[in-house]
Amino acid sequence: MKILMSLGALVGALGLLLLGGMIFDVVPSNTVRLIEGYMPMQMLFEVGCYVLGFTGLSYMLNAMGLGIPRFWQGIGFWIFLMMYLKYRVYPPIPFSVRAMYGTVALVTVFMWVSANEEDWKKFKQPIMNVLDAQTGMNRLLRYMYLVLLPILIGGFSFNAMMPKSEEPIELRTVHPAPPASTKVHGKTYVLQTSQSPYRVNPEGKYDQEYSNANIVEQGMGRLMKPNANPWDEKNQGYLKYVREGGEIFFQNCHFCHGDNLNGRGLHAFAFNPIPANFTDPGTIAQLQETFIFWRVAKGGIGLPNEGFPWASVMPPWEQHLTVDEIWKVILFEYWHTGYYPRTWD
Amino acid sequence: MNSISPKAGVVVATAFAVLLTTSGFASVVFAQGGLPEGFKKGDLAPEPSAEMIEAGKRVYFTKCVWCHGVDGAGDGPGADRLWPRPRNFNQGTFKIRHTASGELPLFDAKKPVAGQNDLFETVTHGLPGSAMPPWEGILSEEQRLQVLSFVTTQLVKDRKFTDKQSETQTILNLAELKPKPATEESRKRGSELIVEKKCVECHGMEGRGDGNAFNLKDDWGFSIQPANWHKCWNFRGSRQDPYNVSNIFRTFSTGVNGTPMPSFADNTSVDERWDIANFVNSLCERNALGQPLPIDPLTDKPKINFVIPSDMVEGEIPSDIDAEVWQKAPRRYVAMGGQITHKPRNFVNRIDDIWVRSLYNDKSIVYLLEWDDRTKSVAEGKLPWGPTQVNIDIKEQEPKTGEEGSIAASQNNYAVYNDAIAIETPVKWKELPAPIKPRYLFGTNEQFPVDIVKWEADGSLRAFKGTGWDKDFEQRDNYEETLKVLKGEWKNGRWYVMIERPLGNKKDQDYDEDTFFEVGQYIPTVFFAWDGHNGDAGRKMAVSAFYYTFMNPPVPQETYIYPVVIAFGVVLLEGWVLTRRANRKKGKTL
Repeated sequence: MKILMSLGALVGALGLLLLGGMIFDVVPSNTVRLIEGYMPMQMLFEVGCYVLGFTGLSYMLNAMGLGIPRFWQGIGFWIFLMMYLKYRVYPPIPFSVRAMYGTVALVTVFMWVSANEEDWKKFKQPIMNVLDAQTGMNRLLRYMYLVLLPILIGGFSFNAMMPKSEEPIELRTVHPAPPASTKVHGKTYVLQTSQSPYRVNPEGKYDQEYSNANIVEQGMGRLMKPNANPWDEKNQGYLKYVREGGEIFFQNCHFCHGDNLNGRGLHAFAFNPIPANFTDPGTIAQLQETFIFWRVAKGGIGLPNEGFPWASVMPPWEQHLTVDEIWKVILFEYWHTGYYPRTWD
Repeated sequence: MNSISPKAGVVVATAFAVLLTTSGFASVVFAQGGLPEGFKKGDLAPEPSAEMIEAGKRVYFTKCVWCHGVDGAGDGPGADRLWPRPRNFNQGTFKIRHTASGELPLFDAKKPVAGQNDLFETVTHGLPGSAMPPWEGILSEEQRLQVLSFVTTQLVKDRKFTDKQSETQTILNLAELKPKPATEESRKRGSELIVEKKCVECHGMEGRGDGNAFNLKDDWGFSIQPANWHKCWNFRGSRQDPYNVSNIFRTFSTGVNGTPMPSFADNTSVDERWDIANFVNSLCERNALGQPLPIDPLTDKPKINFVIPSDMVEGEIPSDIDAEVWQKAPRRYVAMGGQITHKPRNFVNRIDDIWVRSLYNDKSIVYLLEWDDRTKSVAEGKLPWGPTQVNIDIKEQEPKTGEEGSIAASQNNYAVYNDAIAIETPVKWKELPAPIKPRYLFGTNEQFPVDIVKWEADGSLRAFKGTGWDKDFEQRDNYEETLKVLKGEWKNGRWYVMIERPLGNKKDQDYDEDTFFEVGQYIPTVFFAWDGHNGDAGRKMAVSAFYYTFMNPPVPQETYIYPVVIAFGVVLLEGWVLTRRANRKKGKTL
């Protein structure tokens, strides 16, 4: 038990140091990297680790006779959560959302400190002590609070009332509802029934199973299967078209969507929001191939009304590519990310 | 020679003279054993294992082949639309190294240690300012070593990393060289040395890379340009740590192989190199307090604030940048990407940021736009199209693998058009149903048009109404009369343009055509920029995202009154709580 707790204490102390270091820029903020696509899980895991660490820490401190009163534990934990949300999570969460999380966390902390009568008393005790001011120290504290509180609250309200120019928050529909059909280069494609003409086996027959078996492997690096190199001259069918799609991708798309299809291309830094990250399980992995076909062909300018605010520089690719090239580039995107397109059923 | 200022106009000739007279002392800097100062002898690393090489091939053909090509000749399908070009591995020429000029870089497949493995660091951190991304977090450490094992043994064809006969390793001993503190004295000496060592000949008088922008070629004959010292986040060797002076020291000491940038190890002492590095580092853009700009870890560029604040000024807005109001006005970094939505697309975008400041008074608002452009471009003669024409005939070149007819071959050989900049704001932005903004490029349609004010290097300032990305502009002649160019100057690789426009009121301006600026409101603003020497014209240009112009309102009186009232209220509350508590206790004890 003791060993376990001291281990926890170590984790807690280290974690706190790390977070503190990141806040004050002593440690680079990417010391522990946020893994793309798994951020929510990673965050939950990290906070879980912290909570366990704090448990250990408080146990050890108690054992050493240096226990922190429940009052300060509660406040400390809440401050920690706010700091974590502000400095750890990237891209940053807007203040309004943080305020919501903060309120929830505050309620939770109150529930924790008031779980039973005894705890609640313990929690209240320091406040009562200061109010009663029985000792000299507490009397001093009481006068300090008397003076400081009005100044602080006045200061905060002054700050809040000072005119400021913060970026207005914009909500955005990520995947607008697709139309039933789309017309590209004079031909109408019904989204429910169309299929990629290049998802074919070496015999030239539409074969989703064959193509799924030849996409890159999931896991770190997302590398191609050892015997499925699209650059192999002997390829027929799917892999040959993947290579042709890749050539189109690297002449047209990587400038924004990036060499690794993660939305970090050469020009991406200039745009807001930054371009779609295909390696994120929330983008093309969630969508049908024909949906992508429609989005690629029509671009930002073809977004329906609910897709506002239309702040998209996605080209309507029908202006630059043929229908065949669009299908091939989509084929490549699924191959390179190792995802299957969703089917309609 | 201490009296030479780097900004004096005639220094180059003098510097040459100085160099001649001082070259006698150059031999002093050779340390023992013929090694340049700060260098030590190193050993060649052992050959990576066959398994590593084989595994690396798989990585290469998944990730790298698309730009670097099947044979590693830097001619993959993506190559021709990139500038700088992807590396040609065949000759074993690598830019960022700890080794002496001309030597192979450090690479050891078993030692992924920072400072001891140049190629590993390049793959890990990428080469900012080029299309090479950082692969950390995408490829595992092992995979990065594998792919490098493949590249160094199979794709480097003219040299061999393990050949003791032909290869040597003379390593910059950076770990043991302590950076010299960047004191004013050190920076001043650096500023003199960059003239003396002729850095300014290529990098320009202010270090904006404008010295010899058009005649430089790399080893393969492709045109390249000298670095702009004011954008350290674009330094290839910045290793995602752009304000670290050691990176500059390293590049300066070892040179950039394959480019005209030589190593200065033989003719500068370590001390002098730190002075130069300190000075170059001090030129990189900083905030008003002189601190490094915060870098966005997602993009490795400065963090962006999308609000451009405009402060109020009493009376005339000065056209002098050195005026106090301009010096105090907050500056915003506006990131620019190539316009690649509609033809002609601008894949090789040469203007990647603009610095914007703004001030307003009771009648007008002024934008001060500054951006780096290595060349001042003014079209010779009349342009073959009218200023309102949008769908102008500029050919988009198809990418090619070979030299003949490729985009790379015509780089720097474009017909010269005007440098230009434009500010686009929506008309009647208040009536746009939230959160809809007009279409980004030249407006949506007749219902949601945009107001475009465009300045060109020939001195013209025009106002247009845009109603769609492919619709010709409508010229607003009567509005142009109210516009003013307060400044339009190109100096040492940077444009300084100041544009004044009316705030807009219903009496003097047309509500249906001109944007009206209102205090305390977020007015969507887009910037476009053209580099005339890049063949930029029409839609071939650089674009920003949507920013907001925000005219800071004067502080209202209530801001000073209410907090005092609130604070007083808190005092009353405190008194109430304390008396209550005291009464209660009394009640209990009694």
